[in-house]
Amino acid sequence: MTTNAITNTGRLRMKTKMLRMVAAAAAMFLAPALASAQGRYVHANNSPFDNLDPHAVFDVGRAASRINMYDGLYRWVDNPPKMIPWLAESHTISPDGLTYTFKLRRGVKFHDGSEMTSADVVYTMERMLAMKKGPAGLFLGSIAPGTTQAPDPYTVVFTLKEPSAIFLSTVPEIQVVNSKLVQRNVKDGDHGEGWLSRNDAGTGSFALRRHDPAVGFIATRFKDHFYGWEPGKKWFDEIEFRSVLDVNTRVLGMIKGDYQGTDGYLPYDQIERLRKEPNIQILEDESMRVFYFAFNMSRPPFDNVHFRRALNHAFDYNGFINDILKGSVARNPSPNPNNLWGTPKDIKGYEFDLDKAKAELAKANIQLRPITINPLAGFPETEQASVLFANALRKIGIEAKVEASPWNIVSDRFRSKDTMHDMVPLWKSTYYADPNNWVGELFTTRHHGGRSTTWYSNPELDRITDEALRITDQAERTKLYDKAIRHIVDEAVGIFVYNTKWFGPYSSKIGGIRFSPIGSGQEMRWAYFK
Amino acid sequence: MKRLAIIFSRLIWLVPTLLGLIALVFTISHVIPADPVRVIAGEQATAEQIAALRTKLGFDRPLWEQFLAYIGKVAQGDLGMSLFSQRPITEDLMARLPATLELGIAAVFLAVFVGVPLGVVSALFRNSPLDHAVRVVSVSGLAIASFWLAMELQLLFSMKLAWTPLSGRIDGFPPEPRSGFMTIDAIADRDWEALFSALRHLALPTLTLALPAAAQLVRLTRAGVLEVINSNHVLYQRAMGYPERVIVWKYVLRAAMTATVTQIGLIFGVYVLAGAIVVETVFDWPGIGLFAVNSILRSDYNGIVGFTIWAGLIFILVNLIVDLVHSFVDPRIVR
Repeated sequence: MTTNAITNTGRLRMKTKMLRMVAAAAAMFLAPALASAQGRYVHANNSPFDNLDPHAVFDVGRAASRINMYDGLYRWVDNPPKMIPWLAESHTISPDGLTYTFKLRRGVKFHDGSEMTSADVVYTMERMLAMKKGPAGLFLGSIAPGTTQAPDPYTVVFTLKEPSAIFLSTVPEIQVVNSKLVQRNVKDGDHGEGWLSRNDAGTGSFALRRHDPAVGFIATRFKDHFYGWEPGKKWFDEIEFRSVLDVNTRVLGMIKGDYQGTDGYLPYDQIERLRKEPNIQILEDESMRVFYFAFNMSRPPFDNVHFRRALNHAFDYNGFINDILKGSVARNPSPNPNNLWGTPKDIKGYEFDLDKAKAELAKANIQLRPITINPLAGFPETEQASVLFANALRKIGIEAKVEASPWNIVSDRFRSKDTMHDMVPLWKSTYYADPNNWVGELFTTRHHGGRSTTWYSNPELDRITDEALRITDQAERTKLYDKAIRHIVDEAVGIFVYNTKWFGPYSSKIGGIRFSPIGSGQEMRWAYFK
Repeated sequence: MKRLAIIFSRLIWLVPTLLGLIALVFTISHVIPADPVRVIAGEQATAEQIAALRTKLGFDRPLWEQFLAYIGKVAQGDLGMSLFSQRPITEDLMARLPATLELGIAAVFLAVFVGVPLGVVSALFRNSPLDHAVRVVSVSGLAIASFWLAMELQLLFSMKLAWTPLSGRIDGFPPEPRSGFMTIDAIADRDWEALFSALRHLALPTLTLALPAAAQLVRLTRAGVLEVINSNHVLYQRAMGYPERVIVWKYVLRAAMTATVTQIGLIFGVYVLAGAIVVETVFDWPGIGLFAVNSILRSDYNGIVGFTIWAGLIFILVNLIVDLVHSFVDPRIVR
């Protein structure tokens, strides 16, 4: 039908007029509600969102689905990360450090409108422990199945097997699912994994609207979210996270304006490329992701401290950081990030000095053998660091062979002291913001074959880190971690190079991004179009 | 009857071919010292957690036992579950196949429509500047790495000229799939805007895939035409005073095409299916090529083997179709 046909009759003209009036009235009525209407934010992500189950997925690359559609008992925000009450309002710890009682917020709604209660938290913990995937690793050692209690609808009690000071810093990872909804969708005892991989059963700030495992997901702002949406403030109405595997396509898409954000750990040359674009802003923050060379301490000559110190003096820290990485990272001389509590501020670490390296080698007085370095294929920094290091080692008479492998092969080799190469350059990310995440896991006997990447064993270090887990007083724990970190650096159990900086590329129209090393700035409830 | 015999024999050969393919890929993917269990369990996993998950997924059993169990499942049409997405591999592949087919068919059509006429022209004007130019372009088309070409096309057409989109299959988030072919769905809905958007998104990946395929077709067609044009029957047709146009497009091309048609099956496998892995990654095209890349990056055994079985099946079926077409182009083979 054409416009002429409508205007030809008076009746239709009246109708049009009325429609216009109704539309105008509706617009006026809706105006306050839409004042903050913000449209859709599109994010290009480096990992695929082929599984949305918060208890199956735990890698940093896929944090967006967990952090935006689900809520934990507490939540990490900002940098240095601080924990704020979230689904739980408060907690108490029993004097023996074994019982943690959380008081839940009342009136929290799941996306289907039902109320979240302590039964959902208990189900969540049992589901994680039974599935044994992703975040379960944080709890399997400390909580036994069937021990989590819900004395009333708003109280949850966790009973630990042994005192663990890090437990509190892991509760943000108890991402609560709607137990009734998930249980309705359990098939062949799969804990609802098949269903939850494509659906949403959370309370989070955004509720799933569309999911295409080959593309990504769209989530809509959840108006009834417990944290509320402050009137007068801006926010996104919808968020779209797409998986775009190719770095170049992500970068070009940012420049073209197809995407308003992408991951914050792009190669630095791409960051420099994006910096030149007027429509893009690069947000910077020191992260908590330490780059280091893990030593396989189980075989000679790595059992010799002078040999290890010689290696530490043979790495060109300044050359690597300033020339290769163009000063985009900060030197971090210990295994723990500089910007975290517990890291000694006066620790200097080692400097690049081949004479000192030679002197240490002489002190070692050992039979040298060719050593192997196993960088991660596809992560050029690890390969550059390895080649740089191998060249310097040659100058002090150590033959080094560089052999790159994909991460899944390297991680498999870590399982056994026999298959792990002599040295592996890699990063240790933040899974919970506690010093134990680094020094307590990488070098302790209890984590051999699991989170330890070094096969290092020292009774004194084990004692100190165990003690730091038993007590909850932060001042006392700081002293213990100070001691543990100094021990590792003094013993040269690895080469500690830098702490990563996060460079978050966002459209210059975006405001309100809150970066936290846990979640990498992908929590979108704070962000908005300016 | 002879055609039915061709189909029948191909279908019989399908079984041992696929079995061999599965055995090869299964063994290679399982003997590589990569550990999907560690990747699934996460970096924070404890040694016990990894061991328990390994037992649950059956990776602690001997390889031959795992292989027999897998073959048993495949015989029932079950390619297993993706270790990461927790969905049946068949479901994941089915959802992505239309994207790859849409792109592959478009690329083959473009390659044929460009490659065959250029090959003929090149042969007819042998050793002319035009022939030299076509040969330079076709050799370059074969030599250029597709990921490089893809990025250059993106820079020129998407970034500089802004004629085409950078990536994806359609503007915005794709709608709920029906046939899975964006163009067919748009035509069915008479949504011309969506059709235009789908075609614009198809342009660059199609061009990237079609260029080496077209280059190969140019070379084959040129060689075929040159061989036929010097044959006795063409000499006879010339002597009979047939117009040159009729000789070339009716008699020479038909005889020359027999070799070209058989090559289209190979081209589909080598350039389109294999090329899709790179092209889908660069253009963020959610097809089975991108699925294969993600499976490989995460050592998702079931995904890798599942993709290979499907790629093998597609290759065999395309070659069967090509053989049937061949029998029409050259009826001698069914006599």
